[in-house]
Amino acid sequence: MTVFDSVLADLNERHRDEVLAAFAALEHGREPVPEAQLLALRDATVRRDLQRLLYRLGRTLVRVGGTHWTSGFRDDVMAALAAEGATAQSRIDRAVLVLVLVHSVAIPRSQGLVSGDSWTSAHPTSVDELTRYTQLPRGEIRPALQRLRAAGLVQIAPPRGRSASVDGPAYLPGPALHRLTKPARERLEHELILAAAPDSPLAAAIRARRPAAPATTSTTPEGNEDT
Amino acid sequence: MNVDDTALWWARHRAAGPQRVEPAGAHPTGMIRLVEPDASAVWLLPELPDNARPDVLDELGLAGVAVDQPNDSARVLAACLRCCWTESTGPVWPATPAPFDQVIGVFRAITGSRDERALHAAAMGAVRRLAGAGWVLFDEDTRVVRLGPRVASWSAAELSTLRELWRSMPAPEPTS
Repeated sequence: MTVFDSVLADLNERHRDEVLAAFAALEHGREPVPEAQLLALRDATVRRDLQRLLYRLGRTLVRVGGTHWTSGFRDDVMAALAAEGATAQSRIDRAVLVLVLVHSVAIPRSQGLVSGDSWTSAHPTSVDELTRYTQLPRGEIRPALQRLRAAGLVQIAPPRGRSASVDGPAYLPGPALHRLTKPARERLEHELILAAAPDSPLAAAIRARRPAAPATTSTTPEGNEDT
Repeated sequence: MNVDDTALWWARHRAAGPQRVEPAGAHPTGMIRLVEPDASAVWLLPELPDNARPDVLDELGLAGVAVDQPNDSARVLAACLRCCWTESTGPVWPATPAPFDQVIGVFRAITGSRDERALHAAAMGAVRRLAGAGWVLFDEDTRVVRLGPRVASWSAAELSTLRELWRSMPAPEPTS
């Protein structure tokens, strides 16, 4: 009996198919899926079965903007993976991603141009901006951007008017950033504050709030803060 | 930390692609074990039910993961398949290793005229992308290509389409 069979054993055939279709849509799809499109997303009962399936496989439902859904790592699973050092991205790729996040999200947010806690944004970061201020080897930035694009962590910004031809290509955070759970989004924000302004009162407050031991936030198959 | 084994193995695959483990290592629930030809290691691959596979996206009209240079990537994968899958009537995994130059030869034959330097750059870019995703295994030092563990996830229907494609492609030149 597969994992899928054992989780979905009690469901009738129709609900089982709906759960599997939604699983495929969230896990393999590029963008979050509108709730209205799939029964397993709109119907809270079937959605709970979808969440049980995802949970069994180390994943969880993530709500995006009130009307869409995607899937991401469970917070406890992500902590375990991080502890093992299991990551697909090299140091340089992660550094380039952070630069894009700083330019496209953190700076606009601090200026009040971006609201909410999402790590996606419509503020492009030009390649020129990435290469001009960075301490990373210039030749490594483009290959890193290519790899990050393949992973959906960055995407090419749509050209707007004449600026694209003048400034060269620009990047935005990619659709994979939607997959961050609420605690993961918050952790990323805290890490950036700790890195960028370690002596600020905000950083002190973040350190004070952190438990001495590694976080042991428990999740259950029945739900998380998003469901 | 109270994360069970099944969740962790599936998550590792999600985070970093097919996992290579010791032959006597893990037996995670719901995963296929692909033994290396010399039995030195085992690849773990999730087993998805038919209606939870990526092709469901087409039926739902949803976009999948974006691939850079999709045409060249597909052609290089086809060329690797033509060179490594020497017995196309048999299983696609593990197949046999092939020199990258042989793959480039088939790629050249199916892409038409292109200057040689651009052709090599396109083939190299594509084989690296394919290796990054686990579709092929590419040793840059010895310039040898093998099919990656992910090809074992192809369904019987997909394999029969690929067999037809295989037959329609030019044969690789014998290695000296």
